[in-house]
Amino acid sequence: MKTAIFLFIVLVSGALAGFIHGTVNFTIVEPYLDQAIGIENQNLFESGEDQDTPQFWVEYEGYRVWQKSGQILAGVILGISIGSLFGIVFALSRNTLPGNNDLKKAITLSGIMWFTLYIIPFLKYPANPPTVGDGETVVLRAILYLSFIAISGLGAFSFYKLSTKLQNNKKIISLAGYTIFIGIVFLIMPENPDEITAPIELVTEFRIMSVLGVSSFWASIGIILGLFWNKLKPHQETNSSY
Amino acid sequence: MSESRQITVSKNGVSKLAIVALALVFVAGLFVVGFDQGHIFSLVYGEQAFTDLYIHELTHDMRHAAGFPCH
Repeated sequence: MKTAIFLFIVLVSGALAGFIHGTVNFTIVEPYLDQAIGIENQNLFESGEDQDTPQFWVEYEGYRVWQKSGQILAGVILGISIGSLFGIVFALSRNTLPGNNDLKKAITLSGIMWFTLYIIPFLKYPANPPTVGDGETVVLRAILYLSFIAISGLGAFSFYKLSTKLQNNKKIISLAGYTIFIGIVFLIMPENPDEITAPIELVTEFRIMSVLGVSSFWASIGIILGLFWNKLKPHQETNSSY
Repeated sequence: MSESRQITVSKNGVSKLAIVALALVFVAGLFVVGFDQGHIFSLVYGEQAFTDLYIHELTHDMRHAAGFPCH
């Protein structure tokens, strides 16, 4: 394995996919964030916690510009981070992934990781816009969310390892095993403790846009890393002898 | 007369150092975007960082959009 090329492929693919994710979010998620923060501000005024003054709006504009400008930068950082995990898993599992070239293998893996690390946890703990969420429970919610992602990911990995030991016509057993396992975990894990106080249409539409944004990342990382891997072939070493 | 040969071999060995480096990048990036509440800047600015929340605010919109608990 050519380590420098491997690292280059992983980090650049992650950054590009993260940039795409941030850009998609900036286009389709931001309007819902603005709407939700508008409701949050109204709640602040009504509760007397803050006052509707020019000073308030000057400060508000200041930090909203900072928050919005971070959307794409945070996308790149998150992309490099998740892309690194994707690169590790791809390098270690490449030989056993289905597909006759690295693009197909990478797309297959990104589909599996999108489903087990994002969609399954999302169904249990879906994304929420601002105004939904009690600051007092943020640590608990973070622990629940991360735990579920880790359990789902490790469960998928374990059943995948099991499937490699089974004959072709019995591989379905490991898929059924993961389905039963994650179904039980889904029922056992505690619910999100926060009540949804924002309009349900806003929350639902925000969640749909959130899924599209994250899915754009997983689609991009599979395609970009697969193309780079096909082109640069970091797993091959060329020896010349004279 | 010398003969030139080129052999392409496929090696599956992945550098352990590369794996460790990427694992560190994964954890650090996830913490910055998903969970920092002033912790990183507190190493330099002390308790004030937990009030300013610069990184939290910078990653705020992505945090919500990507499904991380925010506040």
